[in-house]
Amino acid sequence: MAIHERSLVEPERILRKDRLVIDGVDVSGDWNLIILPRVIEDYDLSLLDEILQQPEGKTILQCYQCSYCTASCPVHNYWDERYNPRHFIYLARLGMVDELQKRADVMWRCVSCHKCTHRCPKGVLVEEVLKAILRVLAKRGLIEEYPSKKFDKFFLEQVVEYGRIEDGELLFGWIEKQGYKVFKDPILKKPIPLFGDIPEWLKTLAVKPIKNMNIDFLILNAKHMLIHPKTKNWGKMKQVLRKVLQEEGVELH
Amino acid sequence: MAVPVQFRKPPLGGIGKKVAYYPGCSLEGAARAYDVSTRIVAKELGLELDYLEDYNCCGAMETKNVTFWGTMLLNARNMSLARQQGHSVIVAPCNGCSFSLQRAEYFLETDKNTLDRINQLLQEAGEKPLDTVPHTYHILEWFYHEAGPEKVKEKTRKPLRGLKVANYYGCLYTRPHFYSRTYSHLAPENEEQDRPRKRETADDDEHPYYMEALLEAAGATSVEIEPMHTQCCGGPHSLSDEEVSEKFVMMILQTAKRNGADIIATECPLCHASLEMYRHRLMLKGVPDVDVPAAYFTQLLGLAFGYSANDVKLKDNLSDPLPVLKKLGLA
Repeated sequence: MAIHERSLVEPERILRKDRLVIDGVDVSGDWNLIILPRVIEDYDLSLLDEILQQPEGKTILQCYQCSYCTASCPVHNYWDERYNPRHFIYLARLGMVDELQKRADVMWRCVSCHKCTHRCPKGVLVEEVLKAILRVLAKRGLIEEYPSKKFDKFFLEQVVEYGRIEDGELLFGWIEKQGYKVFKDPILKKPIPLFGDIPEWLKTLAVKPIKNMNIDFLILNAKHMLIHPKTKNWGKMKQVLRKVLQEEGVELH
Repeated sequence: MAVPVQFRKPPLGGIGKKVAYYPGCSLEGAARAYDVSTRIVAKELGLELDYLEDYNCCGAMETKNVTFWGTMLLNARNMSLARQQGHSVIVAPCNGCSFSLQRAEYFLETDKNTLDRINQLLQEAGEKPLDTVPHTYHILEWFYHEAGPEKVKEKTRKPLRGLKVANYYGCLYTRPHFYSRTYSHLAPENEEQDRPRKRETADDDEHPYYMEALLEAAGATSVEIEPMHTQCCGGPHSLSDEEVSEKFVMMILQTAKRNGADIIATECPLCHASLEMYRHRLMLKGVPDVDVPAAYFTQLLGLAFGYSANDVKLKDNLSDPLPVLKKLGLA
């Protein structure tokens, strides 16, 4: 079954004539647009094999391209039409790596709202499949590091280290990674949100509990920033997690 | 309420009055108000939360993009802890946590190999392997099914009269149904198990209504914001993809405001934080119609049950719903 993707046709393959005469017969009108055929030789079917090996990617073959996922997708509808889950699955199944690479700037924008998975009539775990495609592409070094992956790794590092996450450290650590200069107290090296070169909105937001005189809330969060909440008996679990991550080829700092 | 009548008849009960309570990391820190008010509401409704001792992070929506087995293991440990405390049901007040546990449940129930490997890894880590995989519910579903609107009505001492509430459910409360309601499409033989099917005790997946049913029973008026009630807030990308998150939150807040809502009721600490954070940013930018404050639905229920604003920690909300509630004489 051929699906004609307008976006797969490069401009140089489209011939458009105002007046088209073939063998003395005027065939203008319906016939004045011709798409030159293309032979695809650079497909890579091993991409699909690798996606199928991912535990989340197994349902990719059930897709029958109905596009319910794309029609539901908020990123497609409200942000960028180039974000098209059905199309990504299509390209991945054909092994068209270069076409996927062209869309690398939007592919990571999935917000994991799971409307696609929820509504899929064929039981494809669409969100999981897309993440599997993205992961395989990143593993092969075919796409650049993207912001959400950096954040995911940063999050994972905290989880592996302490067993729990702490909102303050997550927020300020991420802000720092964005290139802002977070002011830290000189002794304990913990961020103090009131000073430093941080975004204006964060400064004004951090000041709110002080304005509200919400002392116990401030103390609680300051305590968590000083002493990171931890899961007890985490040592063995940490080792096993690190081993599992190593097997999966995930590098942590 | 605009929910069609045929959606309003799920059988009640069936989850259990005493369950394992998995609060999640957020509720111990920035979302303390949700934890405190949840305990208050559970106590009032005659339900018992058994705190899951020494739990770990569920991995949220982030770790699953990097590691499948790591995320499975994180959730399996929590499940194992619940089993050791003698529970077969876990409730989580966070959409992300309940999603993660349900996702793990899905993969563990549908694939024997996954379960075997995870049990082996659990043993390596010094935890007890799973004998059965516990079910996970969102705490809102538990409140609805084990107490229900009648009980809420009975307990209400100070009705939320005149308060127009926009009920915001967020993405993962009912989605995807493969995880939250039924996981039979990959392993049909699971249908024959005599364990209770989740299908029987879950909110409607496209038109959730449990929160508005509970809040209406407490005297509030619901404002229709469909389809924004399940629109994404940016979720896991609220820090890493600011443009998209800002746009999504703007759509939710403006829909609520323009439909006349006084307040947005939330049921997930992540959605709540995202709404409050971007509300503040949008207001700094001077975007119109975004100044609706947010409060957890348990805070509102707590107020209706006669607790003070300080009891349900309304000061913790960065979007400051106190003035709105004071104006109506509710706090």
